[in-house]
Amino acid sequence: MSREAYQVPSLGGGNAFSNDNLGASSLDGPLVAYLCGECNARVSLKRGDQIRCKECGHRVLYKERTKRMVQFEAR
Amino acid sequence: MAPAATDTNWSVNYDVLRRENLFRNPPEDHTAYPSLAAAIKPHVDSFNALFEQGGIIEAGLKDIGTRTFLDDAAETPQQKQERIAEGRKPPRKNKLHVRIKEVFLEKPAIPLTNKFTARNRNIYPSECRERHATYRGKLRAKIEYRVNNGDWAETVRELGQVPIMLRTNRCYLEKATPAELVQHKEESEELGGYFIVNGNEKLIRMLIVGRRNYPMAIVRNTFTNRGHAYSKFGIQIRSVRPDQTSQTNVLHYLNDGNVTFRFSWRKNEYIIPVMMILKALVETNDREIFEAIVGGASSEGIHNTFVTDRVELLLRTYKAYRLHSRSECRSFIGEKFKPVLGVPMDVSNEEAGTEFLRRVVLPHLGNCNVTETQDYDKFKMLIFMIRKLYALVAGDCASDNPDAVSNQEILLGGFLYGMLLKERLDEWVRSLGPILRDWSTRNHGARFTDPAFERDFLGKIVKRTNENIGGAMEYFLSTGNLVSPTGLDLQQTSGYTVMAEKINFYRFISHFRMIHRGSFFAQLKTTTVRKLLPESWGFLCPVHTPDGSPCGLLNHLAHKCYVATSDVRVPQLPKLLVQLGVLNESSVSLDESVSVQLDGRIIGYCSPKQARVIAGTLRHWKVSGTHDIPVELEIGYVPNSNGGQYPGVYLFSQAARMFRPVKYLPLDKLDYVGPFEQPFMEIACLPGDLIKGVSTHIEYTPTNILSIVANMTPFSDYNQSPRNMYQCQMSKQTMGTPGTAINYRTDNKLYRLQTGQTPIVRPPLYNAYGLDNFPNGTNAVVAIISYTGYDMDDAMIINKSSHERGFGYGTIYKTKVHALDDKDSRRTKARHAITKLFGFAPGSEIKAEWRNTLDEDGMPFIGAQVKEGSLVAAYHTVRYDAASDSYVNVDGRTQFLKYKDTEEGYIDSIRIMGSETGTEPCQSLSVKYRVPRKPIIGDKFSSRHGQKGVCSQLWPAVDMPFSESGIQPDLIINPHAFPSRMTIAQMVESMAGKAGALHGHPQDCTPFQFSEENTATDYFGEQLRAAGYNYFGNEPLYSGITGKEFAADIFIGVVHYQRLRHMVNDKFQVRTTGPVNNLTGQPVKGRAKGGGIRVGEMERDSLIAHGAAFLLQDRLMNCSDSQRAWICKSCGSFLSTQVAVSSTGSGKARLAAKANAHADHVGGPSGAPSIVRCRRCAREAVFEDSRAVVWEDGEGKRFVGGDDVTVVAVPGVLRYLDVELAAMGIRMKFRVDN
Repeated sequence: MSREAYQVPSLGGGNAFSNDNLGASSLDGPLVAYLCGECNARVSLKRGDQIRCKECGHRVLYKERTKRMVQFEAR
Repeated sequence: MAPAATDTNWSVNYDVLRRENLFRNPPEDHTAYPSLAAAIKPHVDSFNALFEQGGIIEAGLKDIGTRTFLDDAAETPQQKQERIAEGRKPPRKNKLHVRIKEVFLEKPAIPLTNKFTARNRNIYPSECRERHATYRGKLRAKIEYRVNNGDWAETVRELGQVPIMLRTNRCYLEKATPAELVQHKEESEELGGYFIVNGNEKLIRMLIVGRRNYPMAIVRNTFTNRGHAYSKFGIQIRSVRPDQTSQTNVLHYLNDGNVTFRFSWRKNEYIIPVMMILKALVETNDREIFEAIVGGASSEGIHNTFVTDRVELLLRTYKAYRLHSRSECRSFIGEKFKPVLGVPMDVSNEEAGTEFLRRVVLPHLGNCNVTETQDYDKFKMLIFMIRKLYALVAGDCASDNPDAVSNQEILLGGFLYGMLLKERLDEWVRSLGPILRDWSTRNHGARFTDPAFERDFLGKIVKRTNENIGGAMEYFLSTGNLVSPTGLDLQQTSGYTVMAEKINFYRFISHFRMIHRGSFFAQLKTTTVRKLLPESWGFLCPVHTPDGSPCGLLNHLAHKCYVATSDVRVPQLPKLLVQLGVLNESSVSLDESVSVQLDGRIIGYCSPKQARVIAGTLRHWKVSGTHDIPVELEIGYVPNSNGGQYPGVYLFSQAARMFRPVKYLPLDKLDYVGPFEQPFMEIACLPGDLIKGVSTHIEYTPTNILSIVANMTPFSDYNQSPRNMYQCQMSKQTMGTPGTAINYRTDNKLYRLQTGQTPIVRPPLYNAYGLDNFPNGTNAVVAIISYTGYDMDDAMIINKSSHERGFGYGTIYKTKVHALDDKDSRRTKARHAITKLFGFAPGSEIKAEWRNTLDEDGMPFIGAQVKEGSLVAAYHTVRYDAASDSYVNVDGRTQFLKYKDTEEGYIDSIRIMGSETGTEPCQSLSVKYRVPRKPIIGDKFSSRHGQKGVCSQLWPAVDMPFSESGIQPDLIINPHAFPSRMTIAQMVESMAGKAGALHGHPQDCTPFQFSEENTATDYFGEQLRAAGYNYFGNEPLYSGITGKEFAADIFIGVVHYQRLRHMVNDKFQVRTTGPVNNLTGQPVKGRAKGGGIRVGEMERDSLIAHGAAFLLQDRLMNCSDSQRAWICKSCGSFLSTQVAVSSTGSGKARLAAKANAHADHVGGPSGAPSIVRCRRCAREAVFEDSRAVVWEDGEGKRFVGGDDVTVVAVPGVLRYLDVELAAMGIRMKFRVDN
């Protein structure tokens, strides 16, 4: 296993970033959480969902920083 | 207790804690840097002036007035004849009056259709930046209409969404405090003054136009092209209406002494005899006109035969028109101009003439509901212009220089925007005409009085007009192109807007202080417009202009130069002037009477002596604040002179003027002076320049003449002047800190210096403008020594240890929008029109390698490293399934978007952008990439003195020279950089920086503070001495390699260094092989396409001269389009050779040969076992020929001979040339030896 592909064992199992059963679970695709640009709420969206914050209706969502370990070769 | 108000006074000090506090607790009352806000004020205020009560748009609507449309009774010519024969009257036409009553511009908000957002429906600027959208508000107009004399009906129409300037009265952030700004994801010092269009910050740049309402004497040779007898003399006045639109009127002098009036209307020029206009304006007679121009019978003017002769001729020639009374003249003009003006055909000629005078002739003196007095004002002004014209022709006065600031004013962005908006509104109402006619014919000659009309007017007629005025305004801002049927009295059609690039803060702020002369002048061959004139003193910065093509055309305002954005109130001024002795009587003799004008209106005349007194008194009054005269009033007193500028007292109170503060000596108080009055005033620069009894004013400080950026050059008075210009250029290209809200910015490219420092050597203005919020460089220990040989020719050596500690470390942020839709993704689409979605195709297999950079949702991980070709988004095709209200993927295939840049970067952030309606799935991603850029060899750096250099080595710290105190330089530059460039200020800065660092205090580097008696070197030398260092800034240095002391002491000090944004990584271009041009086979050009650098003729010449034949061969042949081609030696042709098959070959071989021949028969001997023959030299085989010599072409024809062929290496284009020539019937013959 390469170092880049190493994954931190996920806590609590079923969080949105778990890498098991790679998205092939449902036809609607995985539920991924994003952050609202206005109220910073976590907004879970799946494939084809309308883009807006469920709390405040804001129209810009940020992708969360990955929970995966990010590791590069230092040079 | 309320917290104390934020302090706005700044000194040269570091103020570290105070600034830290400002950062941590953004002020909740007002900004701490008011001068920064003042710098962009003209932009914001000019936009504010549009929509306020009694604002520019309101004035514009008054000028548009009521438009009247007539319905034509449908009548064939036959019917008409019948009617006339029967003697019936033509059927009465109905009139439809339409007028715009009011225009509203709303603040930006999400549309009402969006039901998902309940709390805050406002759209803030940061959202528009992040969504790559436009910050715009809904424009609505209340229109009123009536048919004939019925009641006015009223309706409100929506006219699209108009972009809104930030921090204006249509923006939510208008009065926001720094704390609120930060809350709305802006800089704490967000200034506004620009628009956000498609996520880009755009601003309308200020443009120089002629001074309004002042008749300028112009001598221009092209005037003679106007027609027969036209001379080069003219008087031009740019008359500005209350809505800031202008109309230029010109009086031309004809060689016979006649005067004509020229104007242009809707891009066409028209000429009228001036006498006709005079007579049309007021009820008058020849004697009155004569006396108005020449003066009364008892005046001196009567003896001026030059003028009397010409006026007589003027009056005599006009007799030919046989128009005597005012109404006759108006009717005549009205008849001619009715179609041009677009007045309804049923108004009388006289009314049309009146309308003409209202709109075209000196509209600044009366634009709406013109009264008799106003017409008389216009008359008086025209008389004045005729006088000035005759004085110009006679040589009694000089021509005015249209390139001097004294005869110029500024067209502000907001005003231009308003002019455009007004014109769009006018065009919109105008466009009803054809649609009404169309409606009438479609409905079989329906009339306005029909009941159907009332029903159809809004729903069918108005609806058919192009109501998207917002779209037009957005187009204007995003392209800078002016689409206008009138041309708006401007000289250019494009280049009005620029992108407000935030490369660093200097660049950004400079955009708002930038003044362009107009792109028309850029093409001019003469350089007179570019000259730096003394009139510009204090208004335009003499230093801050780019070198190269825009030099002198693109200027910047001096930092203390203000621009008026509204008219100051002066209603009592005419009365005061009359009290001061201004009379109505006048004469053409300038020794007897000179005019007194207020904003292009003649108040009266007085003697030259009196004029001087009036000007002096008014000035005293305005500075002292008595008599209700505003201090911003410009009192242009032009004294009598011998053939100088036409004398008089010209008062200016209106908007768009420049003015600047100086001290009025008699009262020791602030006075504002304008560019028109300044040349005739005595303003001392320094106390030493004061002349007793002459000087009336003194500059507050000499640095007031410099722009913000030019002021930041330390000790700029010690530099050779071009170096200061270069520094102004380079500070704007520095990799600095664009802002503190970088996380919320989505600029295409953003440069950021990670290790910015406040300069030790800086002027107090540095703090006043809050530039420490946006650090632009690093203080470096610089030794001036020729050390390694790697510092030749403006190269510089960076200490590797400094490099490792982060000297000049920078980052580039690139934002790319990855859209699934190639076309305009911003357009909202219907649900079923969506064909692609982000994410892996559901149910399909997802490869592990895809997941290296991509998350479950098909978007990249934040923080993932991307290289060329890395996947940055996955998507799949979908079809909308109405039954389940979902998107179904059929093919199960996942496609990818890739990262295309060659340089590796990291995903910094990803924005998922929804639509304003809130109903759309994700169709585009805004991905921000972070590309780290540490300084490498080839990157560009510069000091603050126009001394740029390229990093040539990162020198190991152990090998760097060191001083006795153990200090190593961060940078080494070559002493040869100084003698020819004479940037003494850099050496002074070096000493000052060193002393400042040693003593721990900032150094004031304001220019003009030192003198010959009190020298800078002494001041800083003493400080160095006090710190125990050499007075001259030299130090003994030891070689880092041998450890021996250098023979000479080395000049070493602390200099603030900037890293410029030009980096090798964006520039290097190298190739051996790569993409080639399809036609010629030569390498393509362009770095982006992986092309090569051309070895041109001159390079070729030098290689020949050097005898470098192999190099030449390599460049021009091997690395270019070399190819091996068959040629026939006997006939010398490329084109007649072809691949042959030996006759013994089977059909299969024949086919192969045929394919070969078609491909390109340059396979050469090494290719397929085919032989090549010259078809031209061969003859057709006959039966007797031996099989051994017969060959066959691809089609089975048999030939003999033509075997004298060989392979040569030639450039591909040569063969191409041969083909092209052959197509023209020209044969090329090559003689092949060996």
